[in-house]
Amino acid sequence: MMKGRRGVPALAWGVFILIGTVLLPLAARQYQLAILTEVIIFALFAVSYNLLLGYAGLLSFGHAMFFGTGAYTVAILLNRVPGLSFYSAVALSAMVTTVAGLIIGSLLLRHKGTPFALLTLAFNALLYAIATKWHSITGGDDGLSIFRPEIDVGFTQFSISGITAFYYITLATIGVVMLFCWYFTHTAMGQTVLLMRENEERMKFLGYNTNISRLILFVFTSFLAGLAGTFYALLFQFTSITAISIDMSTIVLLMVIIGGTGSFAGPIIGACVYIYLQDFLSDVTDRWPFIMGLIFIFMILYVPKGLSGLIDSLIERLRERWPSSGKVEVSE
Amino acid sequence: MMGEIPVFFLHGLVYAGLLFLVSSGLTLVFGMMNVLNLAHAAFYMLGAYFSFSVLSLTRNFYLSLIICPLLLFFLGAFVERFLLRRVHAYGHVQELLLTFGVAYIITESVKWIWGNYPLGVNLSGFLSESVNLFGLFYPVYRLFMFFCAVFIGLLLAVVLYKTRIGIIVRASVDDSEMVNALGVNVPLVFTGVFGFGAALSGFAGVIAGPLLTTYPGMAAEILVDAFVVIVIGGMGSLGGAIVASLMIGELQSFGALLIPKLSLALMYMLMAAVLVIRPSGLFGEEQ
Repeated sequence: MMKGRRGVPALAWGVFILIGTVLLPLAARQYQLAILTEVIIFALFAVSYNLLLGYAGLLSFGHAMFFGTGAYTVAILLNRVPGLSFYSAVALSAMVTTVAGLIIGSLLLRHKGTPFALLTLAFNALLYAIATKWHSITGGDDGLSIFRPEIDVGFTQFSISGITAFYYITLATIGVVMLFCWYFTHTAMGQTVLLMRENEERMKFLGYNTNISRLILFVFTSFLAGLAGTFYALLFQFTSITAISIDMSTIVLLMVIIGGTGSFAGPIIGACVYIYLQDFLSDVTDRWPFIMGLIFIFMILYVPKGLSGLIDSLIERLRERWPSSGKVEVSE
Repeated sequence: MMGEIPVFFLHGLVYAGLLFLVSSGLTLVFGMMNVLNLAHAAFYMLGAYFSFSVLSLTRNFYLSLIICPLLLFFLGAFVERFLLRRVHAYGHVQELLLTFGVAYIITESVKWIWGNYPLGVNLSGFLSESVNLFGLFYPVYRLFMFFCAVFIGLLLAVVLYKTRIGIIVRASVDDSEMVNALGVNVPLVFTGVFGFGAALSGFAGVIAGPLLTTYPGMAAEILVDAFVVIVIGGMGSLGGAIVASLMIGELQSFGALLIPKLSLALMYMLMAAVLVIRPSGLFGEEQ
């Protein structure tokens, strides 16, 4: 969880990251920019997943059902509704996923713990089956190709078919949403979810309707995952059944476990590490998923708090060594 | 159409037998250790692949029917003893995640060792023939599968209800701490049951191999079906697993015959209905 006393360094990091990400396209090549866009999209997906796992303690094996719903909805909308503007497509797609989250959530959240985990997997399998079989709408195994529409800002239009423009749009949209997520975890609502995980009996006793709070959180995370899926489809200009597969649920789980569930930044670190590691490993060997699996088991057994927990304890140790100086974080 | 009903009924029974073999181990382990083993279907898949290798070496199906479950027993016991037990203290989420990781690694290893494509197993001799069953020609092998499942089911019932080991296992399902306090080595029982569950699953994999194709996606395919079975039957209930396996087996078989387009959704609709009416499953205990 966010600790208040590290508020200032967090802000400094935030500004640093913001400037870095805004200026980066000046230096980076097209390919690197595409990877970075992917990192941003998956960071949102991972953050939304961690709101479930890390904050509410709900383990889902089917978060890709919302990611995939977002990806398919935007692809279907752009293919079937001519002249649809970029932001209407994105907003409609996010809305559809939110509704899907409400329906599925109200059914699944009758359960907690293991039965919940199992049901998320079953529902993901159901949506995957629908996407595969309903060929006339989803394209089945062939998937759907899309073009990124132009953006109309009232007085002028500009194209986002190039990766640089799309990178900025993704950064701006997802950046704002991510800030809202961060804010959400600090609101009374976000804190309720956190406390519910720790002691639900007591929260009920204090008069909170824990079922409603949990449903709201679930719907919120499905909205976020849908948005990530929408941008994923727009980035690759293609939606395939991979987006809604259990493999995709696995990927986000790996990211969050590698990054750590204990902090807001953990999943972002995890998404970053996963995507770059995958990019690196897939050049070296075809067996990279196997290596990812080994890393996953290693993290579960020996680093249950993930990379962010590791970084935290490292900083803590440095603090102990030089208790008075505040600049140790910078020098290391 | 009417003439096909007996055939599809038998097909349903055969698949139900297979589902029972996979889900009984899953539900037994869950009832006892409160751990849902996500690697369970991966053990099933390994059973099929081991069998493929044993068959290509020895050409003896009955031999692989004995060797492969044994191998999986040891693998399952190893996973419980050296991996699962280490994360037990961290709680259910970590346990689930660990078994998930094991499943992931097994799937990737299978792709690595045997290749990412379907393998066919051909049987010869009596098992590959068909018999005349009251005027209906039916493959011997499918009947063999069904009888294997019935045999294992009966064996399971005898062991659980008539032997001392069975009493200990059943008592551990109810209250493992008390059994431990009474001087039984419960951790050892856990290892044994986990290994036994893996062996059952592997057995199912061996007999599934010649009928269904052996490919890296077969684990995920049966995992979801087995999950639906234990959700409908009630988690931890062996009787529930039998009833729900029969329901799902027949539903899938007749669904494919009557409404092929919706056959996949039928299973989920049944599950959703059970969840709404009886959230703990047909035979599950109220939470």
